[in-house]
Amino acid sequence: MTGVSRRKFIQTTSASGVGLVLGFVPGKSNQLVSGLSEIDLNQFISVGTGGQITLFSHRPEMGQGTYQSIPMILAEELEVNIDSVEIKPSAASQELYGSQMVVGSRSIQTEFEKLRKMGASAREMLKQAAANKWNIPLAQCHAEDGKVISQTGSTLTYAELATEAAKLKPPQNPVLKNPAEFKILGNPVQRRDIPLKTNGMAEFGIDISVPGMLFASVERSPVFLGKIESYNAEQALKVPGVKHVMETKRTVYGRERFGVAVLADSYWAALQGRKALKVSWHNQNLDKVSDRTISEDSLKAARLTGDELFGRGNPAEIFESSDQLVEASYQTPYQSHVPMEPMNATVRIGENSAEFWGSTQNPNGIRSFISKTYDIPEDRVNINYTFMGGGFGRRSMTDVVEEAADLSKKSGAPVKLLWTREDDQTQGPFRACSLNVCKGVLDESGKIIALEHKVIAQEIRNQTGDDMTAGRQLMGGINTDYKVPNLTVRGVLQKRHVPISYWRAVYHSTNPFAHECFIDELAHKAGKDPIAFRLEMLDHPRFVQVLRVVSEKARWNDQKPPDVGRGVAIAERSGAYFAMVVEVTRKNGMVVPTRITTALDLGICINPDTVKAQTEGSIVMGLGACYAGLNIEKGAIKQQNFNTYPLLRYGQCPEIITHIIESHDPPDGAGESGLPTVAPALVNAIFDLTGKRIRKLPLETSTI
Amino acid sequence: MAIAKFRINGQNKQVDVDPTMPLLWVLRDYLGLTGTKYSCGIAICGACTVHIDGNQARSCVLPVSAVEGKEITTIEGLSADNDHPVQKAWIEQQVPQCGYCQSGQIMAAASLLENNPNPSEEEIVQTMDTVLCRCGAYPRIKKAIKRASEIK
Repeated sequence: MTGVSRRKFIQTTSASGVGLVLGFVPGKSNQLVSGLSEIDLNQFISVGTGGQITLFSHRPEMGQGTYQSIPMILAEELEVNIDSVEIKPSAASQELYGSQMVVGSRSIQTEFEKLRKMGASAREMLKQAAANKWNIPLAQCHAEDGKVISQTGSTLTYAELATEAAKLKPPQNPVLKNPAEFKILGNPVQRRDIPLKTNGMAEFGIDISVPGMLFASVERSPVFLGKIESYNAEQALKVPGVKHVMETKRTVYGRERFGVAVLADSYWAALQGRKALKVSWHNQNLDKVSDRTISEDSLKAARLTGDELFGRGNPAEIFESSDQLVEASYQTPYQSHVPMEPMNATVRIGENSAEFWGSTQNPNGIRSFISKTYDIPEDRVNINYTFMGGGFGRRSMTDVVEEAADLSKKSGAPVKLLWTREDDQTQGPFRACSLNVCKGVLDESGKIIALEHKVIAQEIRNQTGDDMTAGRQLMGGINTDYKVPNLTVRGVLQKRHVPISYWRAVYHSTNPFAHECFIDELAHKAGKDPIAFRLEMLDHPRFVQVLRVVSEKARWNDQKPPDVGRGVAIAERSGAYFAMVVEVTRKNGMVVPTRITTALDLGICINPDTVKAQTEGSIVMGLGACYAGLNIEKGAIKQQNFNTYPLLRYGQCPEIITHIIESHDPPDGAGESGLPTVAPALVNAIFDLTGKRIRKLPLETSTI
Repeated sequence: MAIAKFRINGQNKQVDVDPTMPLLWVLRDYLGLTGTKYSCGIAICGACTVHIDGNQARSCVLPVSAVEGKEITTIEGLSADNDHPVQKAWIEQQVPQCGYCQSGQIMAAASLLENNPNPSEEEIVQTMDTVLCRCGAYPRIKKAIKRASEIK
């Protein structure tokens, strides 16, 4: 993809790496062949003297839609028609753009104000240039649809003003528009990347081809952390097209993981060579680990008090004195990210320069990794990020780049490393499995007076070493907004050889399953309607509103047909508030979800159609995780591919109805927030229909 | 190595490759047709779907020797200007998110509608259940197939 590193800007990043000082060096412009110029008003906006306006999207696109929504924010303040601008991916440059990492549904949340300022600053410069030309006060000019218009009706286009505007000092605090006057934001806008994704033209990492490159495939130990004992390089090298066999490694959260690579002149040849390797591994007794040992360890750990992660009141006292204690345990399995595009990277490591091509959520991280590892200055490491065929957290890591870089360095050629689906499925890192143990007591009015939620799981930030203190990451998604006077959230840290990482919604993908199911169990114990029970304990205005709206939209209080069950759940993720009602019915002897209604409040909605798409996607991924999970057998992942780890299919997808609450508050994250409520609302609905409480995922469909 | 000859998107092609190499890798690594995607390699996910003599096929498990003399259409050859009814409907309904599986989704849907212009929901499920999407574009695929059958 193109780079704007061609231009020199005055750039400064704040200590946090977030804020950018507006500015540029005047007089630098890019000559186009036609004799027209492209003039940069800042690193996000360039105006062609021929009239073309280009907006740069600085966050890699993995399906989340920021390729379109970032330019929408710029265009809104710049006062240009979003349909007439050109959109391009920006260079990968932390200096110019701050962090470009796409994780945690943060791109719009953290960049909104910055992008508005960038758009507004350029607009004010264009207005000032017009005011200077007309010799009138700035206040007598306004901007509209790519033009500056004076009070007397004179008009100059941005193209006519750009050269002069670019010589002005950018205002540091330009006036931002009143959200009530937004013309673009809040309206559904068609995504510019979509036509490229209907005719095969969108370029993904796997599509990269570099002159002289070798294709690589790596055999790794099925048992994580297994060490190489022996392999047959000779046989592999006999395969026509195979050029090299070499050992390699990657680092996953501080642990080295080893592999044997085959490099060939075609991918197919590399795969055939890999099959001939017949690697044997030393598994250091880790093949004794299985679902059974993990489950036994977790149950043992559940008896420990653990570390308090959040607390108020004195729940222990109430638990001791109560004879009405309600207790329940919930289990979730390991999950794989399964981006449809398997992990890959193309890397060239040269003497004093390097280049990366591929799908990544973390372009800055790759640049800094290569720079540090090979002692090459960052400005000589070129990063070309492409569209990603899904990410879901997996592509925030640099481990695959580490392997490809190592192989390029050792072979002296650019290397395109492609993982197979089986590699992707069995090597991880994975979404952590968890055991959640909940305890609660109701008072005589049927409200929760004391609650304990204990999470027994591995923690992403603390996977190695001796420190067994549970950290706050473990409590993600546990709702402390319920007005329970005596509450404790506890964690018991687990450490295992199974590597874990960030998976869409992270701990919000497991903890709310337990929490919102347990709240439901207590509602039934209290003999109360599950929505009324929740509302009684909530005064958080956003939770209250989404619950009321979902109740109305899902016709919660209407008489149900006899073969329908309904379940509700709420959660907050990335600042966004969600309430969800799942309806289930019996079909071909199974209980299946038929309709999912959500109400969500995520502040200002940039592109409502994208928010709806992200909500649908989160729901499908959340449902998939209710029906499939990974098993550990002999220290390794049992499921190798989609035949044993099924994704949700077309015909299994229920009707999804999304209601977005109108708001002028700053935007929250949309990419994951629909996921946490899916499992609990589904399981609560199954209970409503069948009276059967499910506390373990994946659902065993034969038993419901 | 052996010479394989076939027609792709209306053009005669020949390649000198290992005859057991799946068509998918011939398309991607030898002919530069990267719109057809690899994802599972075992004919389960449908990302590699192409048309062979008018019928949909999984190119990831199909040895190139098996398509000798055949007429192959890939996503690049489905239409000249991204204007096949299925492509138009896909854009109108804003179906793709990451977009990686969409070549396969579109090729499967186009083949379905070609052979059955007004499929029942059951018939749609039968075909589209065989193409996986991790982003969860299914609700939009459903609407887009309906739209495509109207455009047609």
